[in-house]
Amino acid sequence: MAMKELVEIIAKALVDHPDEVRVERIEDERVITLELHVASEDMGKVIGKRGRIAKAIRTVVNAASSAEKKRVLVEIVQ
Amino acid sequence: MRVVEACGKTVEEATEKALEQLNLPIERVQIEILEEPSSGLFGLIGAKQARVRVSEKITPESYMHDFLEEIIGKMGLVAEVETYMEDKNLLMNVSGQKMGMLIGKRGQTLNALQYLLNVIYHKKFPEQEGRIILDVEDYRQKREETLRMLAENLAKKVVRMHREVVLEPMTPQERRIIHTALQEHEAVRTYSEGEEPYRKVVIAPR
Repeated sequence: MAMKELVEIIAKALVDHPDEVRVERIEDERVITLELHVASEDMGKVIGKRGRIAKAIRTVVNAASSAEKKRVLVEIVQ
Repeated sequence: MRVVEACGKTVEEATEKALEQLNLPIERVQIEILEEPSSGLFGLIGAKQARVRVSEKITPESYMHDFLEEIIGKMGLVAEVETYMEDKNLLMNVSGQKMGMLIGKRGQTLNALQYLLNVIYHKKFPEQEGRIILDVEDYRQKREETLRMLAENLAKKVVRMHREVVLEPMTPQERRIIHTALQEHEAVRTYSEGEEPYRKVVIAPR
């Protein structure tokens, strides 16, 4: 639960339209996927040049998920 | 953001009490008067105390402090965040338990978090000139010592082999440590090559 909120807090601080930030958690036997939805004009704000912001978000989430048994993926969805 | 309400005989007295509770100077807060004092009839019946609401003013420093604290909390860590300004830069120091999780392999989590904090800082407060430097229990200082030793040892190797040595990718701050450590060296010179975030330092014979 906290990991979903972690992605939400970071994304909301990065975008121009925080109200349109939504994170969905999808879990199967092996992985937990956190789907990050943002307004289409905010896509660049959460991805960054050459994906640098997205990579940094994933790094922080991976550190936070070290206690989880399953792999945690962050996917950015329009 | 912290808010307290306080009462007193006068607005000043009520404000003072609130400031004491918040442990903040008056220039760091916003004061809202909820109720003016009145002495009432013959100073007895219907006398009312002054009531104020005092809230911490949002400064770039306090905003980033609260933001980082929230992030760390959501990461499941218990830690203290200390912030202070130094030459236009905002230094944020974290201490607590299980800090290895916040640092990551060769500081990669720390660097990722520092990068995100900087992007957010400059978006929210475009007038701020400096940057955020995030550290965990003096990790960066220890890393700096390690990098300086590495630079010295590699310089010796370059001189001995008379050949260039390419280091692993590093952040701009880490590269600067290597450049600075060897700038006075008589036998080697340093430069960087490649694109961020994979830019590397090269130590070459002079």
